[in-house]
Amino acid sequence: MSGDAVYREHEGDLVVVRRETVATDVVALTLADPAGGTLPAWTPGAHIDVVLDEGLTRQYSLCGGLRDRTSFRIGVLRAPDSSGGSRFVHDGLKEGSPVRVRGPRNHFALVDAPRYIFVAGGIGITPLLPMIESVQQRGVPWTLAYGGRQRASMAFGDELARHGDRVRMWPQDEQGLLDLPAILGDPRPDTLVYCCGPEQLLAAVESQCAAWPPGALHVERFAPKPAEPEATADSPFELVLQRSGLTTVVPADQTILEVVERAGISLLSSCRIGTCGTCEQEVIAGDIDHRDSVLTEEDREAGEYMMICVSRCRSERLVLDL
Amino acid sequence: MSPLAGHYPLNCWYVAATSDEVGRGLLGRTVLGQPLLFYRLRSGAVAALEDRCPHRSLPLSYGILADDEVVCGYHGMAFGPDGRCVRVPSQENVPYGARARSFPVREEPPFVWIWMGHPATSALSDPPALPWLHDAGWATFGETLLVEANYLLLHDNALDLTHFPHVHPGLSPTPYLGTPPRLEIEVTETTVSYYRDFPPSPLVGWQVRTTGLPQDRDHAQRESGEFVSPGLHVDRMHVFAAGDGGDGAGSYDKILTRAFTPLGPRSTVVHWQVSRNYLTGRPEVSELLRDVHRATLTADKRLLEAIQARADSFGADAEFNVSADVAGLRARRIIEDMLAAERGWQPTRTPAPAVR
Repeated sequence: MSGDAVYREHEGDLVVVRRETVATDVVALTLADPAGGTLPAWTPGAHIDVVLDEGLTRQYSLCGGLRDRTSFRIGVLRAPDSSGGSRFVHDGLKEGSPVRVRGPRNHFALVDAPRYIFVAGGIGITPLLPMIESVQQRGVPWTLAYGGRQRASMAFGDELARHGDRVRMWPQDEQGLLDLPAILGDPRPDTLVYCCGPEQLLAAVESQCAAWPPGALHVERFAPKPAEPEATADSPFELVLQRSGLTTVVPADQTILEVVERAGISLLSSCRIGTCGTCEQEVIAGDIDHRDSVLTEEDREAGEYMMICVSRCRSERLVLDL
Repeated sequence: MSPLAGHYPLNCWYVAATSDEVGRGLLGRTVLGQPLLFYRLRSGAVAALEDRCPHRSLPLSYGILADDEVVCGYHGMAFGPDGRCVRVPSQENVPYGARARSFPVREEPPFVWIWMGHPATSALSDPPALPWLHDAGWATFGETLLVEANYLLLHDNALDLTHFPHVHPGLSPTPYLGTPPRLEIEVTETTVSYYRDFPPSPLVGWQVRTTGLPQDRDHAQRESGEFVSPGLHVDRMHVFAAGDGGDGAGSYDKILTRAFTPLGPRSTVVHWQVSRNYLTGRPEVSELLRDVHRATLTADKRLLEAIQARADSFGADAEFNVSADVAGLRARRIIEDMLAAERGWQPTRTPAPAVR
């Protein structure tokens, strides 16, 4: 038997069935199969790739209802420094526009816990909406602190209003920055913190949660985590692909992903900058130099998985279950 | 993850029984290691309770069904379909909080689905839609098979196409015996699916007998399948009749729906259904297809039970993987992620101070 197989993520040709302006510079798009078909099942925290144009792909969190199996909803902020993605969505996508999507996938999964604190900054509210639907259904206590520049720029506030006191809207022009020490309180062993928003907020929450038990904080980044300065130049290393029975070399100026693709192995990848989590691979041996923005400190210490689009190996040999 | 672990995600719909198995009697049945009791209410709805009287633990299935209440065979205590104790013969009042656990159930004939996870979260998802099982354009029959192996081994087997010509040589479509075409594998967060297109080739004997298509013509075929959830795998085989104008009218579609329901760590019930959109009014075709599927499923059962026995002795971690295992490995990862989310946040607890 030949092992000839192509391995890829599900892609679907959907159309925009609804476009709403839900806040200043934020549109919510509802995407559905033009034939009315069922879309793949997903869980809170999941995102899809939206293929906006040739070579232009962006990740957007799913923020629609969990029971809705026929449409995906995404919320898109028009970013002033947009590299093209949000501008394309805002200016180019109307009701009826075709949209190609890939996924869903999830690297921000909602883990069961007795209690939750959600912290959102701006458009970072999107992945938290289905999480809130889920924990509310489960009947466990939760709170949301939702920060934004001003009330009018904060999307989905109307949907959150029904939760009453659990939600605290925190427009910066009225109340200043999120008061993280008050929001997070003392570390609690029964509470998980889920945070999504701009880098500044994530960094502040990470530092505020430093004393919390390992694994208590879950964050999702829109953009790559700021790189730590490289002490030395990248070095080449030997790459062993165990399942495939192949050994090769990763040169200093190439990524593992590039080398594996060149070896003719079909595997998943999407963003290629270490934020989407698609190219994650299981590591059998090797001293991993993690450079992605997906894995937590605990994941890194466990050393079981790596994102091969950006991460490298410090030892001379890396063995992947691939 | 070792198949010896026997853990199964709870937040998932599993088939507990077929509709015809649940009637106005008490059906005791283990699902995911938990002894359960099923019965049909006068309204036709299905109730599922823990099969244990919460008073002195006699299985409730030892009792009787009276109206819509289960009466325990030990002290005559009665329980409603929601599990609440409604009568204690030896006293006037019912103790507070006396109830047997009940479980959300959905019936989509021929299947009765159960949700063993947090009851409230069942409202956030529906059992997978399987329209061909009750649509008029399809003929369907089914059976139940017990396999003494962990359900992960059954998913491995279902997602693995490379074993087919080795385990079922006489029944394999002819293109399997040559160089198989490229396998296309597609994944989402929760599913793994695959398909492959076989170039036109002669049909094997059972295909000729069950489709009535001529053996001396070459017919293209498409094979596809999907890991839908930890509880369900669906396989499709399409035979495109030679000379079909390409309008799909000549597509002979057969769907094998397999619900895998773990009974325990080493035991899985397979509720399988075979549906076809051709020759639907011909019972003899059903009987021929029944024989073919019984043969393949029984051959796989024999292998999987032997594999489980070896895994018990050696541990499954001693296995190696090859490139063709990618679909099965992905399904395991999906299940592993579901289990991790359910295992949940396990905080390190500060020990309580000793009582002085």
